[in-house]
Amino acid sequence: MTRLSQIGRWALYLLLAAPLALFAVYAFSTRWFFPQLLPAEWTSATLARVLGDGRVISALRDSVAMAGGVSLLAMVIGYPAARVLGLRQFRGRNAAWLVLFLPTVVPPLAVGMGLNILFLQLGLAGTLAGVMLAHLVPALPYVVFTLAGAFARYDENYEFQALVLGASPARTFWSVSLRLLAPSLVVAGLFAFLISWSQYLLTLLIGSGRIITLPVLLFSAAAGGNPATTAALALIFLAPPLVIIAATARQLNQRPGDIREQL
Amino acid sequence: MKRWHSLIAPALLVLAACSSSATPSPAATTAAPTTAPAAGDFDLDQWDSVLAAARGQTVNWYVWGGSDSINRFIDTFYGPALQERYGITLNRVPVADTVDAVNQVLSEKQAGTDPGAVDLIWINGENFYTLKQADLLFPAWAQKLPNSRYVNWDNPALNLDFGHPVDNYESPWSSAQLQLVYDSARLEAAELPRSYTTLLEWACAHPGRFTYIAPGPGGFLGTRFVKGALYDLSGGSAAWLTFDQATWDTWSPALWAYLNELKPCLWRGGETYPQDEAELRSLLANQEVDFSLTNDITGAGTAIENGLLPATARAFVFDQNMIGDFNYVAIPANAPHKAAALVLADLLLEPEFQAAQIVPANGFGLGYAIDVNRVTDEAAVAALLAAATQLGEAATPASDLARALVGDTAAEYHTLVEQDWRVYVLQGE
Amino acid sequence: MRRRLSLSPWLSLAPALALVVVLVGASLAYGVAQSLGLMAVIGQNTVSLDAYRSLLSGHGPAGREFWSALGFSLWVSVTATIVSAALALLLAVGLASRPGGGAADTLALNWNLAVPHLVWAVALLLFLAQSGLLARLAAAGGLIELPAEFPVLVRDRYGLGLILHYVSKETPFLALIVLAMLRSQPTGYAQVAANLGANRWQRLRYVTLPFVMPGLLAGALLVFAFVFSAYEVPAVLGVGYPRMLSVLALRFFTDPDLRARADGMAVSLILTAIVLAVAAASLKRGGAK
Repeated sequence: MTRLSQIGRWALYLLLAAPLALFAVYAFSTRWFFPQLLPAEWTSATLARVLGDGRVISALRDSVAMAGGVSLLAMVIGYPAARVLGLRQFRGRNAAWLVLFLPTVVPPLAVGMGLNILFLQLGLAGTLAGVMLAHLVPALPYVVFTLAGAFARYDENYEFQALVLGASPARTFWSVSLRLLAPSLVVAGLFAFLISWSQYLLTLLIGSGRIITLPVLLFSAAAGGNPATTAALALIFLAPPLVIIAATARQLNQRPGDIREQL
Repeated sequence: MKRWHSLIAPALLVLAACSSSATPSPAATTAAPTTAPAAGDFDLDQWDSVLAAARGQTVNWYVWGGSDSINRFIDTFYGPALQERYGITLNRVPVADTVDAVNQVLSEKQAGTDPGAVDLIWINGENFYTLKQADLLFPAWAQKLPNSRYVNWDNPALNLDFGHPVDNYESPWSSAQLQLVYDSARLEAAELPRSYTTLLEWACAHPGRFTYIAPGPGGFLGTRFVKGALYDLSGGSAAWLTFDQATWDTWSPALWAYLNELKPCLWRGGETYPQDEAELRSLLANQEVDFSLTNDITGAGTAIENGLLPATARAFVFDQNMIGDFNYVAIPANAPHKAAALVLADLLLEPEFQAAQIVPANGFGLGYAIDVNRVTDEAAVAALLAAATQLGEAATPASDLARALVGDTAAEYHTLVEQDWRVYVLQGE
Repeated sequence: MRRRLSLSPWLSLAPALALVVVLVGASLAYGVAQSLGLMAVIGQNTVSLDAYRSLLSGHGPAGREFWSALGFSLWVSVTATIVSAALALLLAVGLASRPGGGAADTLALNWNLAVPHLVWAVALLLFLAQSGLLARLAAAGGLIELPAEFPVLVRDRYGLGLILHYVSKETPFLALIVLAMLRSQPTGYAQVAANLGANRWQRLRYVTLPFVMPGLLAGALLVFAFVFSAYEVPAVLGVGYPRMLSVLALRFFTDPDLRARADGMAVSLILTAIVLAVAAASLKRGGAK
């Protein structure tokens, strides 16, 4: 198993590095056709043009803003829900669980197509708010269930301790609860960010063509057949998620919950 | 008289500038940016009122976004001009296919949304027909544009769009004609097939080296290619200008028989086809096939400029039945910024921009919509004529294009070709 | 004291439940209405099962492709799910047995998660096309001369490209889930089994597998639901025929012909129903949490 797992590991690393390298080379190439192994002609013009394109910049801005907003909203809405799901037993808990689980299986295609007309009537179509609402649908369950899992392993006694010692509920929340849950909060927020970041179909269906995000640009570039532009856009699209993952690597790696259940 | 005409434009601009600084334009006083000024804010017969209403507006122009270089052309040429000359902000909205813009307007009608999101659409053919039939287009404006005097509205190729009368609902932008592209480094001009019959022979002598674009959304070049075969088999294009189910029933079996005969000799054995021009062009560049299809008057020139084809690429046409036509812009009835849309439509016909759109280096590559003979300004005429000589080697000679030129069919055939091709050729029933 | 920090459970659940019920509920309601012809703009206010009838009987432009699209979608999603689940199990077990926690491995898996599907699909296209990078390597090595000699791996009729894409993206996702479970597993069990003479495969089958099965099953369900209904990847890596149900649905939903729209919506709802049925069946089997 060790040999196999060695190969598996290297395959994994290769799998990850290869696309990045490929995009990097394509982004600087022009007229790179079969059977050339490396581009005969290099140019930085494509990358410069893409980076300087106002449309790309505003798409980047909109993507980041929406993904961040969706992440925050999902956490704010999901935290209380996750808390009761993870800590409490009550009648109807399974029903609530099932309802919140639904968006992970109901296809975004159906949700987007159905909301298309409703949002048009409500004036939400083609607005950032409308698209963010739509992104919340697939993002919320992941936040709720990640946090619920954390709460299931959570020991409320720490909070009671703090309250007994005289801390206000607000202080307890900030200094105790959030700190203890930090790794899972990071993971949940990251999930929500990534889900919103990579949405194409929902943005297309609800955005009415007025909300242009990076995936929308990338999709149309990929169809447009200029591999250099596509590669440049792909690199820009990849950058924020990779940076965030690298920055939060520590939290992602921690064993689930600092408080281990005694078995 | 002619000199007087040339003074109107600057005079109007001055008037527009004065009026917009003296009194806030109706558009600017409206509170929410999404609330549209009522159509009555300008009078189409008074162009200066249109300019005044348009100042400060944003025009949402829904344009097929599949070509990088066309996108750049629009942003580089029209964007700054609109801003500097008229104070209009251009918002180019890329769509994967024009039908997406049509659907936007239809959906808005379903939901009762007025004003909507779309100000102007790059459109022609059955998309235009769909909106016109559903009464969703702003009427009676095309010939009221100042620059429409350059357009030869008497030309049936121009005042009929896929056989349906344009009726002042859309204004032309450019012209295009179907051509084939090959790599002169791999093929000699003498070897090229010059008709659908010789194409079949060539393809089967070189199996897997030819394919065409699948007719369907985004694949209108494929539809045109197939229609050309239909013309060839039925002896000409005249019978197809008006819709007649009987004509279709008579000739379509022969068409499917031809395409199915061609099928096994095609790339990937005809099991799958490239979805659009970009995919086919990439196959040509990467030596998977030997021919591609294009619409550009510049032939392969624009693609070469953009690094998408080798420098040895050239365009050519068959001897007959290569469909060409005009394409237009139209304004939806529920457009929020009609005045700005009108100004943009007029700008498209401006001789300096028409001259720019034909030069390969600029990236647009489609032909003129205006008639050079109708332009009076000498400098503009010189620019137009000069641009026409800059097409370069990669373009098809104009005489070949003219000889092979035929018009498109009636709009109803378009859907029939697309749907039945899937059934009888792709799925192979 | 206990009450101070907690609100009634339903109050805490209200925002999340409201969001899901309203948005998902409304979208499905509107969807059903439109598929029954009720939302048409002019004239059609009568319930009509035409869309479903034409789909299930195979008539009409959408109907002609419905059954082949359904079969194709099932083939791709079931294969991708099973293969990635199996590979994920092996990968996770292999990684978990490494001493030292394997921080780099987890990071690598997380990075893979962060790469959006669209980007991955484009990368695969550039690599595996007949004139792609791999083919050029083969040409440089003298193995092939023309692109046509390279095997068709993407944009193929059998969904191979799609399956390759999903397996390479979902294996790390499932592996992370299994890894998380393995890392919280009491290590004693494996030791005991080893002491009792079980070899590696027996330990895997009788100790590890039952332990991770619930999590793996839940993950597999998510993967199946996702692959079955995804649009972007088939749009980039798929072919004209056969198409995935999602591509078929969107193609007709965005058709100017209103009847075609009802067809598209009907396809999407049938798709949803299938996913929900599979979810219900697997939840019943696995037992809800």
